[in-house]
Amino acid sequence: MTMQPTTAKQQGLARCKQCALLSAMPSRQQQSQALCPRCHSPLHFRRHHSLQRSLALCIAAALLLIPANVLTIMTVVNLGQGAPDTIMSGIVRLWQADLRAIAAVVFIASILVPIIKIVALLLLMMVVQFRLPLSKSQCTALYRFVHLIGRWSMLDLFMISILITVVSLGNIATVDTGPAATAFAAVVVLTILAANSFDPRLIWDLEHHD
Amino acid sequence: MTSAARLSACPDCDLLQRLPPPQAAQRAHCPRCAAVLAEPPPRFPQLSLAAALCGLMLFIPATCLPILRFTLAGQTGSNTLAEGILRLWQQGFELLALLVLLCSLLAPLLHLLLNTFIGLCQALQRCPSSFAHCIKLSHFMQDWSMLEVYAIGILVAYVKMMDDGDIEILSGSYCLAGLMVSLILCAQSFNSERAWQFWEQQR
Repeated sequence: MTMQPTTAKQQGLARCKQCALLSAMPSRQQQSQALCPRCHSPLHFRRHHSLQRSLALCIAAALLLIPANVLTIMTVVNLGQGAPDTIMSGIVRLWQADLRAIAAVVFIASILVPIIKIVALLLLMMVVQFRLPLSKSQCTALYRFVHLIGRWSMLDLFMISILITVVSLGNIATVDTGPAATAFAAVVVLTILAANSFDPRLIWDLEHHD
Repeated sequence: MTSAARLSACPDCDLLQRLPPPQAAQRAHCPRCAAVLAEPPPRFPQLSLAAALCGLMLFIPATCLPILRFTLAGQTGSNTLAEGILRLWQQGFELLALLVLLCSLLAPLLHLLLNTFIGLCQALQRCPSSFAHCIKLSHFMQDWSMLEVYAIGILVAYVKMMDDGDIEILSGSYCLAGLMVSLILCAQSFNSERAWQFWEQQR
């Protein structure tokens, strides 16, 4: 093996996204219809329109963060009196009730994780687009982290689905879902899709174009 | 093909490199970005199938038995996984209900069913033509199965309501915890390269 780092793309080889098989890409005209010989999935050197898709999804998610945080996510109706909560006011309420650990968990899952994901993805896209001289292995680590934490934002939504069922005590206490829940769900799904569309190999391609 | 089969590209940085021999007992990592390139041969080749079957057995009790019970001023309420989804739908949050349905019920179920099918095919040395589609679909379902997040959601809801009234953890929670462990074991011990090689040989 030579020590000069070579990418599969430079050798005209592509790794299948589905089954990981390395195979030779056909000539330029047929590249758009290329299929993996093992699993017949479409074959690409890099994820298709990676930056455009990821950026569009990130912007959509960032816009939806506004209704998700401004509108009510949940209303606890206690003896006929409703107490509407946004994500943040719910966390403050937990903190004041001395449930600090739970407040921290909800804060991380519902506020920090979506923001970190959007900011991190935008940063990674800027690194690729403007060739920022950041450490490539650290950028890859950041990408893996974004991928890893994505699903944990669903925590708040699952909790709502549990609470509205458990706390349905007729006139005494009920919990109602608020419109922010749908917006927040959209943020979670869009950020997961944005992370899936981003191709970390683009970061490393910068090394080979110099 | 023999020399090309030993070559591999890193999924995260596309570095072209030679893989260690397939019988190597350790995971192969990319020297440039440390991504996992190849898993060692599984010590228990049918662990994934066993975990999937175990999860399927736990699936019905985990979704139908009550998870939590809340008592306040003589009134009680309890919930199951399926009721939570139904209630979201009834409150007019259809999209949200569908998302929770996918992540907490459909994706785990299909992931287990598909992995059982894939494991059985490999154990019985039969390869129907739908095998490849099943691996792809199972991979998708694994991405969207978020039962471990749901389990933490139960814990958070439990702690949150401890001060407001009497809250108990019921049998459904334990089944759900078992189901979660089965799902993680099933996903972790599944060797997709082995399944794809099986597909290639049988065709």
